[in-house]
Amino acid sequence: MICDHCHERPASVVVTQSKNGKTQERHLCDVCAAHFHPFQGDFGNDPFGIQQFLSNWIVGAAAQQAGRPQTVEEGAECPTCGLTFKRFLERGKFGCPDCYSAFREELPQVFRKVQNGHVEHTGKVPESFSGRVAAERKIAELRGLMQEAIGSEEFEEAARVRDEIRQLERSLAEGGDQVDLD
Amino acid sequence: MTSIEKFLQNAVTPWMGSRGEHSDIVLSTRIRLARNLAGHRFPLDFSREEAEDVERQAAAVLTGEDNSFSCIPMDSMPALKRQVLVEKHLISPQLADPERPGTVILSDDESISIMINEEDHIRIQVIYPGLHLMEAYEQADELDDRLEAKLPYAFDGDFGYITSCPTNTGTGLRASVMLHLPALSMTNNMGRIAQAVSRLGMVVRGSYGEGSDALGNVYQVSNQITLGKSERDILKDLLDLTERLIEQEERARRALLERTSVKLEDRIWRSYGILSNARVLATDEAATRLSDVRLGIDLGIIEGVDVSVLNELMIFMQPAFLQQFAGETLQPGERDVFRAKLIRERIGMERGMEDKTEE
Repeated sequence: MICDHCHERPASVVVTQSKNGKTQERHLCDVCAAHFHPFQGDFGNDPFGIQQFLSNWIVGAAAQQAGRPQTVEEGAECPTCGLTFKRFLERGKFGCPDCYSAFREELPQVFRKVQNGHVEHTGKVPESFSGRVAAERKIAELRGLMQEAIGSEEFEEAARVRDEIRQLERSLAEGGDQVDLD
Repeated sequence: MTSIEKFLQNAVTPWMGSRGEHSDIVLSTRIRLARNLAGHRFPLDFSREEAEDVERQAAAVLTGEDNSFSCIPMDSMPALKRQVLVEKHLISPQLADPERPGTVILSDDESISIMINEEDHIRIQVIYPGLHLMEAYEQADELDDRLEAKLPYAFDGDFGYITSCPTNTGTGLRASVMLHLPALSMTNNMGRIAQAVSRLGMVVRGSYGEGSDALGNVYQVSNQITLGKSERDILKDLLDLTERLIEQEERARRALLERTSVKLEDRIWRSYGILSNARVLATDEAATRLSDVRLGIDLGIIEGVDVSVLNELMIFMQPAFLQQFAGETLQPGERDVFRAKLIRERIGMERGMEDKTEE
């Protein structure tokens, strides 16, 4: 099929428009589609236009907070690549792996939107990482034990568990990664 | 050897074969894992030096220890060759962009292609013919382990594998199956199905990607969610859905045969007649006719033509392949002529083989 607008290039995009209750379909080529609908961008293999999705969301958030406009300005900035959270929402793509730490607070909201409500990884863990994850889980478990021990006034036991936690934390820190255990 | 035989010798990729589970309906299975290296910006923003470093590291792991992989930088290939790889689904159109740095590491049998510096630093892709989700994933997983052992993967305790786009974060896994669903399409069931599928966190679309109509009634079904579900669960859900679609398609085929048998046979044989005789064929028409003929083979109405012929032709009738077949650049109008010629010769070749065996 040839593009409805330029009648030259093959149509590759179908645009459906609703006007006064009537839906109209137009078949456009990439060039004309980009001209008429500049916000579509290149979505790669993603099943929907995430930039649009995310930027609509921040516009919505901005409208809600109209009384306090400064709260939605640039947001956090990634120390490694300089991408701001606002810019990330506009383009729908991270700049570098460190962006995940820089925007950690905001990311659950983002993932809730684009991942059907899911915010936490439950799949494969690289071998090099699984030692660390296991240590973190162990620490969480020990903290529970320590609280219990304190609760039942077994202070000697609580102190022993505390030392075990400290030791695990030290070995994690020596592994090169700063672990936020809270 | 005829020109078409010579061409096919170099062009067929195993995933176009007709083997594999449910291969009458499932054309192929594809697994993609997105991975990135810590300490490098993503390809959208990185520098040429970073790109080269990523490429060097990844290539060293795969091409170092065994020689069943070849590493092909995009800028070392002419545009037509790149387009051929796109049409074979071995690389994405984005990787083929000559303005960007990009490399593909291909296994000898072309079942594995690893795209370097596409949207993510590394995208492992495995394509198998037929329905083989678990096997294809295991292959990809094994490669992933090999890469992980040598490369500093970017991974986050909360969010999993870190990717450039938040729609891939977590497992980085996109699993998809390519399905030929002519009976469900003819009975106008695809709209309803696409809606139901999207409620399950999965997507149905035309096989040439987003927004494309289902050319030749070939649909791609894939998972949309990559976070919060394990790889096994993603694969299992997609497998369950695929099996249900196969069942529905089979039921629709039986219903068509029972209720409109003569009409269906007529349509199939007309399409066969057009493919065997037409002198000009546009993509849309060729795809529709190929779909009919393939259905005719699956239903036992047409005998003596191998289904793999249709799988191949769906791929080879695309512009870059046609031009490779023709050995020259073709204008759109000329392509339609060559498309008709290619299809005619390929189907003629099948018939010729049949005649010989009968003698």
